[in-house]
Amino acid sequence: MNFLKRYILPRLIQYFVVIFIGITIVFLVPRFTPLDPVVSVMNRMTSYGSMYLDPQALEKLRETMMELYGLKGSVWEQYIKFWGRLFKGDFGPSLSIFPTPVISIIRDSLPWTAGLLIIAALLSWIIGNILGGLAGYYSEKRWSKILSVVAMSIYPIPYYIMALILIILFAYIFPFFPIVGGYSIGMKPSFSISFILNLIKHAFLPALALIIVGIGWWFLSMRSLTSTVKAEDYVIYAEVMGIPRRKILFQYVMKNSLLPQITNLALQIGGIFSGSLVTESVFSYPGLGQVLYMAINNGDFNLMMGIAVFSIVGISTTALLIDLLYPLFDPRVRYR
Amino acid sequence: MKKLSFTIVLILLLSLLGSSVTFSQILPNLPRNETLIVDALHGRLANPKDFNFWKPGVSVGNGTQQMLLDGLWYLDPQTGKTINALAQEAPIYDKDFKKMTVKLRKGIYWSDGKPFTADDVVFTVEYLMKNPGMSYSAQFNTYVSKVYKTDDYTVVFELKNPTPAFHHIFTSLVYSTCYIMPKHIFEKVEDPLKFEFNPPVSLGPYVLKDYDPQGYWWLFERRNDWRRTSVGLLYGMPRPKYVLFIYYGPDEKKVIAQTKHELDLIFDLTPEAWEVLRKGNPYSRVWYKDFPWAWMDDVRARIMAMNLEKFPYNNKDVRWALTLAIDIVDVVTSGFGGISRVNPLYMCATQSLLKEYYAPLEDWLKDFALEDGFKPWDPTVPYRIADFAKSKGYKIKGEPREIFGYGWWKYAPDEAEKLLVKNGFKKVGGKWYLPDGKPWKITITAPANFEIHATRLAFAVADQWRKFGIDTTVETVEAGPFWTKWNIGDFDVGSYWAVPATDVYPFLQGFHSKFYKPTGEVATTNQIRWKSKKTDDILDKLVKLQPEDPKAKELVMDFIKVFVEEMPHPITIINLKFSAQDHYYWTNYPSADNPYMAPVWWWGQFKFILPFIRSTGRK
Repeated sequence: MNFLKRYILPRLIQYFVVIFIGITIVFLVPRFTPLDPVVSVMNRMTSYGSMYLDPQALEKLRETMMELYGLKGSVWEQYIKFWGRLFKGDFGPSLSIFPTPVISIIRDSLPWTAGLLIIAALLSWIIGNILGGLAGYYSEKRWSKILSVVAMSIYPIPYYIMALILIILFAYIFPFFPIVGGYSIGMKPSFSISFILNLIKHAFLPALALIIVGIGWWFLSMRSLTSTVKAEDYVIYAEVMGIPRRKILFQYVMKNSLLPQITNLALQIGGIFSGSLVTESVFSYPGLGQVLYMAINNGDFNLMMGIAVFSIVGISTTALLIDLLYPLFDPRVRYR
Repeated sequence: MKKLSFTIVLILLLSLLGSSVTFSQILPNLPRNETLIVDALHGRLANPKDFNFWKPGVSVGNGTQQMLLDGLWYLDPQTGKTINALAQEAPIYDKDFKKMTVKLRKGIYWSDGKPFTADDVVFTVEYLMKNPGMSYSAQFNTYVSKVYKTDDYTVVFELKNPTPAFHHIFTSLVYSTCYIMPKHIFEKVEDPLKFEFNPPVSLGPYVLKDYDPQGYWWLFERRNDWRRTSVGLLYGMPRPKYVLFIYYGPDEKKVIAQTKHELDLIFDLTPEAWEVLRKGNPYSRVWYKDFPWAWMDDVRARIMAMNLEKFPYNNKDVRWALTLAIDIVDVVTSGFGGISRVNPLYMCATQSLLKEYYAPLEDWLKDFALEDGFKPWDPTVPYRIADFAKSKGYKIKGEPREIFGYGWWKYAPDEAEKLLVKNGFKKVGGKWYLPDGKPWKITITAPANFEIHATRLAFAVADQWRKFGIDTTVETVEAGPFWTKWNIGDFDVGSYWAVPATDVYPFLQGFHSKFYKPTGEVATTNQIRWKSKKTDDILDKLVKLQPEDPKAKELVMDFIKVFVEEMPHPITIINLKFSAQDHYYWTNYPSADNPYMAPVWWWGQFKFILPFIRSTGRK
């Protein structure tokens, strides 16, 4: 009971406060930028050879669109309406592709982003940490030094360049992989082997680029953590005791080094809700990143807020889960 | 053993991934030699299943307007000729321009077999008028008092006021127009703003076959009854059986795709991307076969827009001084490698408009002088650009004036200095100071990550003004704020694009002071906030004439002259387009050798190009 009051309850309160403040900021910020969704749409309507508009017609059109977009009234009135809608799970219509509901746009794009980024994040985390842990513990070995040099060489390569190198290599010079889309033209989504393989083929290069760059980071951070833990008294004591090195590595060193890595992984996974713009852009892969970019460019307040709310709730929830699960990984937390 | 099984599984997986059976490339089920692949203008669409063009904000340049929609008239900027599409002939106005009669083409059918008639046109106008949230609703409510048919192929518009250019609402002057709705579909729709018109019933020569729910591609198939469309009746069968609009991503990807012959037509590339493509694919070309390659007959020109309500740009002498401080030859050669046509007047310097407007004005331009007698016109500019190109080893085929424009303003820093000093500006230690003694700083607003030529121009002009002694910087902003700044006048100097061509009539009318909005308020026209009694007088006369009237042309010339005298802002070069064509599977696209139509794959009139292209026979 004391643990619940002392540990869990404050975190739950913090969780809701963070979400409330985050969403309020997301609501306010676009309204104080020079972006105007009505101007954006009117600009598109008139910039492509439509006739000039009489000032009266222009004003009429503007009024109509403000009404349609729900942008009439003071910011405070809009804010109250916004929370009212949000509690019903309604983010309103997209303003740039009016009146498509924001939720349906997110629903169409999120699975692609989530599928790609979660798998890429997990794979790079697992591989990077295992290799980093081994390299840190066996730092005197030749292969460890070679791996470290490779990781240090890969890590600084900008992601965009890495992605382009992969495209040029595997989609142009050796054209094994496609350069656009989530699956081939003419295919219908299904649970068939051919569709799943097609899906993997389209996701392979975007995922590979993310994994290669990700491995570099996880490898270097884990190697550094392992090197520190390896020098702790209890590890030296275990070695003196004659405990097998493999056991020391996995049960003493890596287990303790993993704690900050778990936090980072959870935050990274929480961040997928804002998508990966560069990945989607370079590989023309479906996802939320480009949708968010488009929303920002067009001053689409509702769509921006919809994606941001998912992101805020996603990151806050994973942070809360880590906090709640931490005592399981680290018994010291329970006794503080 | 474990290692062996892991290796076997890995090899099997990789071979499956590489298998051409499982993973053939872009078109697994379509014959490539019957499919034309076109770059999708708007990139990826977040709602690719919405084909209701008449809703505000629906993007139609990814194939919808080219393949499925049709309008009454199209004005081709290349030839200057009008295509009577759904209309049988030009509109017929009564004497006071308060009534317009349109005769429709017979024998046209919707793709579901229903005939296209006057009912569809009348319905379109009345329906849009009834639904104020829809596009064109405000225009129709402003101009139309009544619309009705007199028979199945004749529509009459009664107008509230004399409106001699009313037919422009139904004419694709630039990019798009008010397309006609299928009455038999929309009359059953309760809320048109929620209706997605999917599957769309087509009035164009193709139907929608498939699309990517994630918004990267749209596939269209030629109608079996293509003869019963305006394209079929006017020009015959569109050659490709399938047309695929696809977005490959950034320029690098488009270059790769065209090099692999997986993208026939590209909207626009950067000059650098084109350079790579031309070396990588011998079948690729743009408008000219050799230097300067680019299509330079686009319907907008690059401007250094100034907000005329802001000091010191509210002073004509300052604007002229800034114009004369630009060495346009240096801008074109250092900023654009010599690939540009200069565009000094408020009329796009397309090849057809050079003859129509620039040639008759040449004598006036030669004689034109500023108040102190200085004559700014410089006809040597095209020859100096041509000399630069020759010095780089390029051959210039044809007359430099036809390629690089008829001339621009002199590079005259001494005269610019005189104009500024006259107005109290001071130059100390090579730097200019405002009359109040503060250093003169200019910030040029320019696009970030889009319209790369506008950004280049901003940097090139900034260099010129810095050289002249003004502290000039470039502020690059994303599309959203860039356009908002433009509309509310939140800029001192901006690298925008404007200037009319085929749409001269509506474009000029936007400068009438009755449409003026002060800085801070949204203006969808006259964003530079220019007010002139002289132009008002011209526009008052112009609005009473049909755009095709020879007197209207004279008034447009008068407007251009006032623009020169007042110089609201310098106009620099015409928009360039590196719209690359791959001649591997298809050929006979419009080009400088055969300029039968403008190479505008993203405009509604693209449908009329399709009967002219030819298969090369490659499979």
